[in-house]
Amino acid sequence: MATKRPVLCPHCGAQVKKNGYCSACYMPLNVLKKAYNTSNYHYNIGYDKAVARDLSGAIESLNTSLRYNKKNVMTRNLLGLIYYEMGEVVMALSHWVISANYMPNNNIATKYIKELRQDPTRLDNVDQIARKYNAALTYAHNGDYDLGVIQLKAILKENPHFVKGYLLLALLHIRTNNYENARTTLRRVLKIDKTNPLAIRYLHEMGDTDENIFKMRMQSVEDDGLFDEDYMSEVSVTVEGDTVIEGANKKMLKEYKARTRQTTVKTGEFGEVNFARYSGFYVLVGLVLGVLVLSFLIVPYQKKKARGESDKLIESYSEELAAKNSEIQALNLELQSVYSQLETELATGEEGSQMPDYSQIQHGMSVEDVQDMIDNE
Amino acid sequence: MINFEEELSRFAPIPEVSQAEEAIYNNDLRDISDIVSQITSEIKDAHSGMQPSMAGRIRR
Repeated sequence: MATKRPVLCPHCGAQVKKNGYCSACYMPLNVLKKAYNTSNYHYNIGYDKAVARDLSGAIESLNTSLRYNKKNVMTRNLLGLIYYEMGEVVMALSHWVISANYMPNNNIATKYIKELRQDPTRLDNVDQIARKYNAALTYAHNGDYDLGVIQLKAILKENPHFVKGYLLLALLHIRTNNYENARTTLRRVLKIDKTNPLAIRYLHEMGDTDENIFKMRMQSVEDDGLFDEDYMSEVSVTVEGDTVIEGANKKMLKEYKARTRQTTVKTGEFGEVNFARYSGFYVLVGLVLGVLVLSFLIVPYQKKKARGESDKLIESYSEELAAKNSEIQALNLELQSVYSQLETELATGEEGSQMPDYSQIQHGMSVEDVQDMIDNE
Repeated sequence: MINFEEELSRFAPIPEVSQAEEAIYNNDLRDISDIVSQITSEIKDAHSGMQPSMAGRIRR
């Protein structure tokens, strides 16, 4: 007869008694099983919501799943992935680290953590986002809405999936009565998280119906111009002082600009800067810079170049001179040797045989006569 | 109508990478097993303070 395998407690790993309670932690096994099943049930709901891009709903369901079983690795991993998609990398990382701690082997969270660690630029970027977002939040609390908007736009340009950033930007746009920009911003939120409760509430407050919101989800956000136009464009006026319709949409504004050919002047703190005003100053600065460059860079270089060339010339001349000197020396030596040879030959001539007496030779004598005379001698 | 100050108070600062450790520790929530474990230990403590005859009766 086969022996029955002992039932182990899923909480502490000790053996479960016959009465259904753990022998070590006294935990009732049936309660734990029910809790784990409920956790998996909520995980499945969360997964379905995540697939349908209802990320806020998915987060809610997955958090419920964790309240039944905090060691549910699948839930932790999916929750981390959703936070990552929404641009909250530190939250994602914290869930993955806990998941990897509960199940070190055969866990996809370890792969995610490894990939993040191997990309220091990504981590640096994440750090920058957090700092800038927190700074924007401080600006908003202090009433510096313009600075907050600029800061948030800078973050969102680099990280177009940062949902919290969009929501704060939309709130600041609403505060500065830029409802059209707020709508454009919230449309981007709905593209990432279809049922974001905060985005939907803001849209309702701005007078949008459920039907409008449904249509917004269908619209493309590729060229919505959220980062193209200056957000102050909505309060533009013409040079003549006519208002260009406050809150006009971007298309209308573009058409108006094309028609009036740059006759609009932006108002507010961030108006266009007229660079022509400073042209004289720029010319002066250019001249000063030119003189400085000439005196500190070009002239020393030319001097150095000329000095180098003259040095080369002197060197070649001195080499040539040395060659000539050595040639003269050699010729002198040769001359000396010729002189000495001549001297020795002369000496031997005086001591040795008598030279023929050429005094007898007279003018007009033939060669034969001279030869005969020598022979006779 | 949207109350700006009230809405702004909903936005909390997000943790930086250097604060990731803190975020992990703060993430440690209580689940059903923690609650049951706490209840069990409380019952155990209560039994240890009772007379042995009473404690045995309750344990049964």
